[in-house]
Amino acid sequence: MRVNPNITPDILTAIWQTQEQENTALQQVSTGRRVNVPSDDPAAAAALVGNLNSSAQTDQYLQNTTSIEGQLQTADSTLSSVVEVLNQAISLGVQGANGTLSASDQQGIAQQVIGIQSQVLQLANTSYQGIYIFAGTATTTPPFVADSSQPSGVAYNGNSNTNTVEVGTGRSITVNMPGDQMFQGSGGDVMNSLQGLITALQSGDTTAIGNATTQLRTAYNFVTQQRVFYGNAVDQLNANQTFLQTEKVNLSSQENDLVGVDLSKAATDLSQAEITHQAALAAAAKVSQNTLLDYLK
Amino acid sequence: MPGLTSTMLMSVQSLLADQAALQVTSNNIANANTPGYTREVPVLTENTPTVENGITYGAGVTLEKVQSIRDQLLDLRISEETQQQSGAQAQLTALNQVQGLFSDSTQGVGADMTAFFNSLSQLSTNPTSIPQRQAVLTDAQNLATSFNQTSTSLSNIQTSLNLNVSQSVDQINSLTQQIAKLNAQVAQMQQLGQEPGVIQDQETQLVQQLSQLTDVSIIQTKDGQTITTANGSALVVGGQSFALQAAADSTGTEHVFSQGQDITSSIKNGSLGGILQVRDQVLPGVLNQLDTLASQFATAFNTAHESGTDLNGNAGQAFFSSAPGAGAAASFSVVITDPNAIAASSDGSAGSNGNITQMTAVQSQELPSGASPTDSFANIVFNVGNLTQQAQAESDAGTASLNQLNDQWGSVSGVSIDEESTNLITYQRAFEAAARVISTVDELTQTVIGMGASAAG
Repeated sequence: MRVNPNITPDILTAIWQTQEQENTALQQVSTGRRVNVPSDDPAAAAALVGNLNSSAQTDQYLQNTTSIEGQLQTADSTLSSVVEVLNQAISLGVQGANGTLSASDQQGIAQQVIGIQSQVLQLANTSYQGIYIFAGTATTTPPFVADSSQPSGVAYNGNSNTNTVEVGTGRSITVNMPGDQMFQGSGGDVMNSLQGLITALQSGDTTAIGNATTQLRTAYNFVTQQRVFYGNAVDQLNANQTFLQTEKVNLSSQENDLVGVDLSKAATDLSQAEITHQAALAAAAKVSQNTLLDYLK
Repeated sequence: MPGLTSTMLMSVQSLLADQAALQVTSNNIANANTPGYTREVPVLTENTPTVENGITYGAGVTLEKVQSIRDQLLDLRISEETQQQSGAQAQLTALNQVQGLFSDSTQGVGADMTAFFNSLSQLSTNPTSIPQRQAVLTDAQNLATSFNQTSTSLSNIQTSLNLNVSQSVDQINSLTQQIAKLNAQVAQMQQLGQEPGVIQDQETQLVQQLSQLTDVSIIQTKDGQTITTANGSALVVGGQSFALQAAADSTGTEHVFSQGQDITSSIKNGSLGGILQVRDQVLPGVLNQLDTLASQFATAFNTAHESGTDLNGNAGQAFFSSAPGAGAAASFSVVITDPNAIAASSDGSAGSNGNITQMTAVQSQELPSGASPTDSFANIVFNVGNLTQQAQAESDAGTASLNQLNDQWGSVSGVSIDEESTNLITYQRAFEAAARVISTVDELTQTVIGMGASAAG
């Protein structure tokens, strides 16, 4: 049978093919990626879009966690100070209710409680990075201002709203408790009871001082309870952080499954492609060296 | 009665035939590497015998003709396969440029969209922060730039493909003109009883070049090849060629006309077909996906943004602008320039971040197209990758198939040096033998003359 006498195109095709295989294998080894352009694996390339998005989002959630952690911790330590000074005020109240005290001593105690009142006011107006943390969502202005026309001696200029921050897909965390709920809640009004104690001390009425102290104690207990909100939030954040870090690892291993290359396989492919290419070249070198003419003398 | 003279004459014919055969062999060897050359064989026939006294004597050999060995059916198959392969190859070349726009997953529309939503999310941790608001605007601008650039790059590819159309039409016209000329020559030679092999070789070459450019169908007639376009418009009939025309419509898009009829949409193969396919089907499809994403995203995001209140206490305005329909991605822009105008608040207070949740939710909510913005972009990547992969597979298959056909062609028409060497020896020996016959007849003639001399002497 007559065969195609010109096999040069076939040889060239073979060389190009093995060359291409070698290039592909080399690219996979050097980039560590199986999918370098969408056509390498369209489905994987499309899934990578979602994967990279989730991955960047997870990074952002971690960043959000770090950003709000400072605010939550500031609030928590502020409340710790509030609790501490309230404790002092209660001691002063107990002291003032003692009937043996002179009027001037009672006035002195009243002055101390006034000092505590202004400390609590300052603490309630604590800001973190320009945010008044007990102002609800009206965070740009100090929430509490001294106002003698109010029975509590302060006016609340904040609002009763809260902010939530996303810290995971479908998971968000409330980052503030409004000042009116924290310091003037239904379970105990810190501002009002401090003002009550001051008024009672100034009047010198020990019964009134005792009642006011009891009220303050209720308010103290209430603030202590409310403070748990921040402690819980910080705990939640810590747990969430661990979760996000695990998720990040999962996502990057998913990314590797999608577009990464199994390096040991890629290395094997490369050496195989090299051998095939060399074989094609060697075959090309052997081809067509002889024709019938070589044997005709 | 057979005599020395007729033997001598017969040998001279042999010498001539063998010389001619050697010349054919020599020509084959000379053209062994000429593209498109089909090997030729000398067709030798016996002369009409003479009958004398009831005995039939052979009357020697004549070279009847020199015939080119070709398989016209195979030529047609090669032409068809060339059309398909060139079409796929042209598509692949263009699609590789397109997929280049979607290859880097760390930048472009998808990545910028992620970055934009992330900076919004960051803003939710401190909604009154001006630097963070500024960062949101910067990322929004980056997203807009990505939409614009991707759209522009796709349009640029479309434009450069469009430029190729008229060039291809010029090439097609030049080829059909040449083919028509050769057709006429072949017909003329055939009328005169001449072998048109060499001309046919050239013509076949030109037809294969034409097949690389566009769809053609070829019919062999007694006047040579009749070549028509895919939809049957004539390109070459006998010695006449019919030029195609390229003309731009009002949008600058080049259309192809055959005798006044717009045949653009019927051209599917050849490099012109591939170019038109990408220009008219693939790129409008991808651009449409991108435009739909841009305008639906802008609308959905604006709705979310407008439900909030900005830092100055005003209701949120439109955040992005994107004219719906074609060009939505190209016109996609950020309307807001003042960081205070980002409507993060849901309760009217400056420090509220409630509306940011509404805005970030857009990222994962379904657009009217049925997919979320991220998924919509992933769909574009898939679509482009898939089309490229298909074109690649088609082109590879076409190449493999063409290689096989070319092998077949070579086995029919290719010059084999071994074969020609064998022929060389065969005709050389035949020539030598014929020459020997002449010298033998010469000796015999001398003997006969000698006989006469001795009789006379």
